[in-house]
Amino acid sequence: MDGEIACQSCDLLVNVAATRHGESASCPRCGCFLTKLHDDALHRVIAFSSIGLMFLAFASSYPFLSLSSSGVESAITLIQAPFALWSKGMPEVAVLVTAFIIAIPALVLMMMLTLCILITRGRYHSSLLPLAKGIFIGQKWSMVEVFLIAVIVAMVKIAAMATVTIGISFWAYGAFAICFTLAASSLDRYQCWQKIALLAIK
Amino acid sequence: MHVRKRDSIQRTLALLITASLLYIPANLYPVMYTDALGSNEASTIMGGVVLLINLGSAPVALVIFVFSVMVPSAKLMAMFYLVWTVQRHSPLDPRQRSTLYRVVEFIGKWSMVDIFVVTILVALVQLGGLLVILPGIAAVSFAAVVILTIIAAESFDARLIWDNMDEKNSVN
Ligand SMILES: [Zn+2]
Repeated sequence: MDGEIACQSCDLLVNVAATRHGESASCPRCGCFLTKLHDDALHRVIAFSSIGLMFLAFASSYPFLSLSSSGVESAITLIQAPFALWSKGMPEVAVLVTAFIIAIPALVLMMMLTLCILITRGRYHSSLLPLAKGIFIGQKWSMVEVFLIAVIVAMVKIAAMATVTIGISFWAYGAFAICFTLAASSLDRYQCWQKIALLAIK
Repeated sequence: MHVRKRDSIQRTLALLITASLLYIPANLYPVMYTDALGSNEASTIMGGVVLLINLGSAPVALVIFVFSVMVPSAKLMAMFYLVWTVQRHSPLDPRQRSTLYRVVEFIGKWSMVDIFVVTILVALVQLGGLLVILPGIAAVSFAAVVILTIIAAESFDARLIWDNMDEKNSVN
């Protein structure tokens, strides 16, 4: 790796030339994480984001959780969950929840997939920069792991009142969350900018 | 060099004040209602924590207490503190303040846990006249607090912490 990085949290110029593969570099002044060199990062991102999208499609089409008490039953799919808030008079919260747990994470995976395929082709494309910007903003607003914890808390709360059964789509969503995390952590921000810059001057 | 965020302090402060005001109804009003066999019970965020303790699930109660009670208030205080020190050109250990900022940035979205719990309960618990759960108005204000504080942390330019440091304070 060559060149200097301006630390994004304190503007110190840090030389990262000595960083080797598998190592990560942090800012010596403020301690902020700078970059990590992965082997074969692009292919990892392509693999994890495409598998992740398949798991999400699977998770959206089967029952997520079901509940029964004294013979009465109710079941929900992943898409239905936020929709119930809409029909109970909270459309704005319903839209936000759908965005944070399904729409934005799915969009981020699609953008990561597109970006990495375009970069591996080795040609500059005008959509590379907006894609990369969109990915790093979208990652901040993806809350897949938070939602998984919420499901567990919700199950504990209901367990006292009725019997909860976990549907197959819950496990698919869990697998999607793992793929999302792995894909996102494989795409290093600085490496990404540098690859785009290299393609731009070629 | 990265481009600086414009009007960082004013924007962050405006968002923080709005979030603090919304934080009051978020805690005072019910976040959800439980309708069990005709009897209606309202519960606030803190009430949900107490309910979980009564159910015997102390670890889960702790998770909700940390993410829904401690994190949002600590986050607001930490952000006010950071804005205040930057405005006064405070010489207080910038590395520590940088770390504090990164913790705030990282932990922000975890406060959404309670909103997601309400979402799941409202959707799932619809057992006719037997048991029904409805969302409360505090869900809206609490979600707004979480989102506003995430945007506030985002609009705060962490490099301001380092702008007024003496030469001797920097490593290079
Ligand atoms: Zn730094």
